[in-house]
Amino acid sequence: MNSFWGNIFKSRENEQDDILTILKKIPIFRDLNNRDLNRVERILHRREYRQDEIIFHQGDPGLGMYIIESGLVSIVLMPAQLTIAELYEGEFFGELSLLDDSPRTATAVAKTPCKMLCLFQPDLFDLIDLDSRLGVKILLGLSRTIGERLKRTNEHVHILKCLKIQPETP
Amino acid sequence: METTFNRRLKITALLLVLAGALLFFVSIGSLVKLVVISALLAYIIDPLVSFLESRWMGRTAATSFIFLTIILVAVAFSFLLLPILSNQVTTIQEGLQSGNADVIIARIENLIKSKFAFLGLRELDLIDKVHTETVSIVNWLFSHLLDVVSLITDMIIIPFIVFFLLKDGRAFKKQFISIVPNRYFEFALNVLYKMDMQLGNYLRGQFLDALVIGVLSTLALWILNVKYFFLFGAFAGLANLVPYLGPVAGASLAVIVTIFDTGDMLMAAHIALAFTLVKLLDDVLIQPLIVAKSVDMHPLLVLLAVIVGGKFFGVLGMLLSVPATGFIKIAVQESIATFRKYG
Repeated sequence: MNSFWGNIFKSRENEQDDILTILKKIPIFRDLNNRDLNRVERILHRREYRQDEIIFHQGDPGLGMYIIESGLVSIVLMPAQLTIAELYEGEFFGELSLLDDSPRTATAVAKTPCKMLCLFQPDLFDLIDLDSRLGVKILLGLSRTIGERLKRTNEHVHILKCLKIQPETP
Repeated sequence: METTFNRRLKITALLLVLAGALLFFVSIGSLVKLVVISALLAYIIDPLVSFLESRWMGRTAATSFIFLTIILVAVAFSFLLLPILSNQVTTIQEGLQSGNADVIIARIENLIKSKFAFLGLRELDLIDKVHTETVSIVNWLFSHLLDVVSLITDMIIIPFIVFFLLKDGRAFKKQFISIVPNRYFEFALNVLYKMDMQLGNYLRGQFLDALVIGVLSTLALWILNVKYFFLFGAFAGLANLVPYLGPVAGASLAVIVTIFDTGDMLMAAHIALAFTLVKLLDDVLIQPLIVAKSVDMHPLLVLLAVIVGGKFFGVLGMLLSVPATGFIKIAVQESIATFRKYG
């Protein structure tokens, strides 16, 4: 009997440890200690997707961010079906939806069977209400991540502009 | 053709499931009533628990603390106010059974007979009818509301359900979301969140409004030196949970009992004026501040809800039917709005 309950609690603990390990790698949660990460873990939703299953459609209202626990996800621009990114274990997408309600800008498809951790805006806002100190840390992490992505986009725009000004000589 | 047939089949199946669910809920009526009351109470208390949680208290500790406080306050109020309430109920009963009420009823009967003689009214037997009705209402009250066994059972079960709804409500919600298929997962989460927010605001607003109306009515009646100020004030507050009909019922009870009990028409007019002023204050000042307007319900919808609630679950059903209809209205409204966004 003891081993029965022991196994159940052990598997739950292992699962939680796995999630904490993944969360620690996410830049948004970089400043969080173990206690904070445990609080974040409590508001995450765990979902499993089959191969080729659509996670969300382009144009759907954005509600939150997805973290890949395992598997491969493609971000596809519709209707051209242009794959703009392929994301692996430990990577995340849809983080802008944590801040606003604008529609999804692309479709996310599970290319292999995937396990995902989902963090949604309503749950994040509840957490901010309950623990504003933790909320500030998460929002700071989120701003930093979005800022870095903006810098990278600016660099790409700059490169593209330069290429337009100085066309390659034949 | 086949698609239309399939769609019709699906709609029929859905309607059958809904009808089955409704029948099931009606057949386990008393349990549904307990769960509905507990859920409403949990919604009202939740912000207090969350407030303590935001001040570095664990959810369980915060829930326990709030529970203990509520129990202490309830016990204190029972000791202070129950004797007043039971005293006032007994005095009313005695007053209605005394000859005073019969004299007034006879006077009203004579007035009707003289003013409406052209209708050919001879014997109205108002005194007998009022007596029979009073006895049946008192019997009903004793058998339904003051049934000690069910009252004690409810007093144990309801706090038990409320405690766990408050402590583990988020986990229940997460469990519910986890069984929704991936395709509808974000949609369900979106609807649930918006419903939760709107319903919470609506219920807390209604509760606060009823509390303020109850206190204001009690104060007004106390200033007017009405004998049963507390009983009428408390009833007015409770009745206020039912929009449109509630305030009228609250004022009518106070006016009718005062007329039958004392025969003082001037006092009855003062009471009516006091209730009108409280209602005016409620409409102009209190409601715009604390009651969510998003759950505005048409008077006809309220009336139908109260009739259906009363038919299936009695007086308590009449009181609970309005918040329950509010819940259904929000659920349908938010589902349609979110569904449109998902195109």
